[in-house]
Amino acid sequence: MRANVGDRIVIRSHHIGELQRECLVAEVHGTDGAPPYVVQWKDGEHETLFFPGPDAEVVRTGQPVH
Amino acid sequence: MKTIDSLRRSGIGIEPQRSIAEAARVMEHTGVGCLAVVDGEHVVGIVTDRDLVRRGLARGLPPDARVDGAMSAPVVTIDADTDVHSAYGVFRTHAVRRLAVVRDGRFVGILSIDDLLVDLAADFSDLTRPVAGEVIFAHHDATVVAER
Repeated sequence: MRANVGDRIVIRSHHIGELQRECLVAEVHGTDGAPPYVVQWKDGEHETLFFPGPDAEVVRTGQPVH
Repeated sequence: MKTIDSLRRSGIGIEPQRSIAEAARVMEHTGVGCLAVVDGEHVVGIVTDRDLVRRGLARGLPPDARVDGAMSAPVVTIDADTDVHSAYGVFRTHAVRRLAVVRDGRFVGILSIDDLLVDLAADFSDLTRPVAGEVIFAHHDATVVAER
């Protein structure tokens, strides 16, 4: 996975009736956009490290990492 | 199949100095029951919702207590590129429910027993399908034609 600061990551639901979740990439710790990322969850209150798995997809909205 | 290919969920990590209250809120908001406690690039522990209850609430830790005081450590790790069948032996040896998956020493995700059980159930279903078919439906034997 490759992501830039400002991109959204969508995590699909794992259970019937569960909503998909979203977070915003705040920092990219890997090289050339590779994980791990520091992400802000949609409520804007929580920031965590994020190690994407097969349930995660990047929605590109940010600028390239320099 | 590589171990990393058996992961079903993204890994979510927090720093060891974060509080147990933050850990609980992150679990609630992200819908996971297990967080990796990551210091720099290295996983130093795993904290579950159960850990927060047993080591936090039950022992009277304040909400601002550091999460590394409630985590399980040391963490049992497995290399991301190891054949996943090796994980069965690691689970058996260490009697844990989750392994930290690492690549070049860096944390990349958490493999749970549940992940392997889902894979096993799918494999088992594939194997039982033809057998179940034979049980339900009659055999269609080939007609033997005698040559004269």
